[in-house]
Amino acid sequence: MENYLIIARSVTYAQRMQNVLGRAGIRCRIFRAPRDLTDLGCAYAVQIQAGDLSRALTTLHRASLDPVQIFMTQQKGLYREVEP
Amino acid sequence: MIYFDSAATTFQKPPAVAAAVEDALRTMSSPGRGGYPAAMRAADTAFACRNELAELYHVGSPEQVVFTLNATHALNLAIKSLVPPGGKAVVSGYEHNAVTRPLAALGAQIDVAAGPLFQPAVVTETFDRMVTPDTDAVICNHISNVFGFVQPVEDIAALCRQRGVPLIVDASQSAGILPLDMTALGAAFVAMPGHKGLYGPQGTGVLLCGEGQKTATLLEGGTGSQSIQQSMPDFLPDRLEAGTHNMPGIAGLLAGVRFVRRQGLEAICRKERRLAQLAAEGLRTIPGVHVWATPDLTAQAGVVSFTADGWDVEELAGALGEREIAVRAGLHCAPLAHRTVGTLESGTVRLSFSAMNTPAEVCRFLAILRKLSRG
Repeated sequence: MENYLIIARSVTYAQRMQNVLGRAGIRCRIFRAPRDLTDLGCAYAVQIQAGDLSRALTTLHRASLDPVQIFMTQQKGLYREVEP
Repeated sequence: MIYFDSAATTFQKPPAVAAAVEDALRTMSSPGRGGYPAAMRAADTAFACRNELAELYHVGSPEQVVFTLNATHALNLAIKSLVPPGGKAVVSGYEHNAVTRPLAALGAQIDVAAGPLFQPAVVTETFDRMVTPDTDAVICNHISNVFGFVQPVEDIAALCRQRGVPLIVDASQSAGILPLDMTALGAAFVAMPGHKGLYGPQGTGVLLCGEGQKTATLLEGGTGSQSIQQSMPDFLPDRLEAGTHNMPGIAGLLAGVRFVRRQGLEAICRKERRLAQLAAEGLRTIPGVHVWATPDLTAQAGVVSFTADGWDVEELAGALGEREIAVRAGLHCAPLAHRTVGTLESGTVRLSFSAMNTPAEVCRFLAILRKLSRG
């Protein structure tokens, strides 16, 4: 199933994203970002369903929580970076 | 034991604090270092603690809440972020060595706005005269750790904002007792211990950072973020939190902060003031005892200093200690405060209360002191 990974610069930012998205009714979960996805190493990702991307980005932008990067994934281990 | 040394650390904690510490030891690893349950449980606890503190102090975002070892660590971070070597700081006449020693180490010019005890309006006027646009930072404690003097930080903050001078508030004695609105103050930093009025364990402290405030690091190391980069992250809290967090301490601090919020700052402050007033009134009736307190405890919180004729302050504290009453004597790491009030030679004996103390304990202390003073 298609979903998106929003990369946050730290666990605290990922937690803030989770809180803000949760309040907007957008389901998400936090986990360590796959190593291949982070040029700077060690980050956290917030995973959301594909249909929620647009609303999630608007919600995060309003909270001044713009993502470091966004990746689309259709199957485990395969990611494609997308522009916000 | 009757414990009246809460200005050093609150010894009697709510039971939830010890339970939280034990739970953290059993169930939490390190926040920001993994995605497995023990790491995420730690991360959730740290985040919850940041959120509680951000709400209590009206801080814009939880990442502006930085965990430190204690208030001294927090003050060092704040001072070294704002005052360059050889810079200039204006401080109140009641500052602790946690402020004056870092400034001395920087070789800073320290201008002391030494206003008289329990006269906040005069203190504000003194700052008004001394703070100039070339001041690198103004540093003021909210409550004097020696005399309980509540300083007019809101007024001092207003004149700092007018002059564009950054303000550091040392909330070591007021955290968990008096309200502070970080956003309204516009302070650059507010530093506080976790282990005093917030009832967390020793080894916890907090630095609240103003939004967008530039910070200098004291430590560099692992943060669990941007690990390839060899400079510290430029974002909070990671920039100032190198190394493994004190998770048992932070979990205990979260329980302590929740206790304070349930009780309410106003109720805690009222209780401590009543105890201080009861102590001050009793001390005044003992011949040869000198007490530093206002009659109605205006501009004073739950801290009272005194001396007794014929007694060295340390010997008196020792005699009280032998009778199971814990107080602190001497200079309380604040020689500047004693110099301002004129007690540098003698020092004082200090009583400092917490929400756990009772009027009966104060009466017991007064009875023992009365006996001691008769010789």
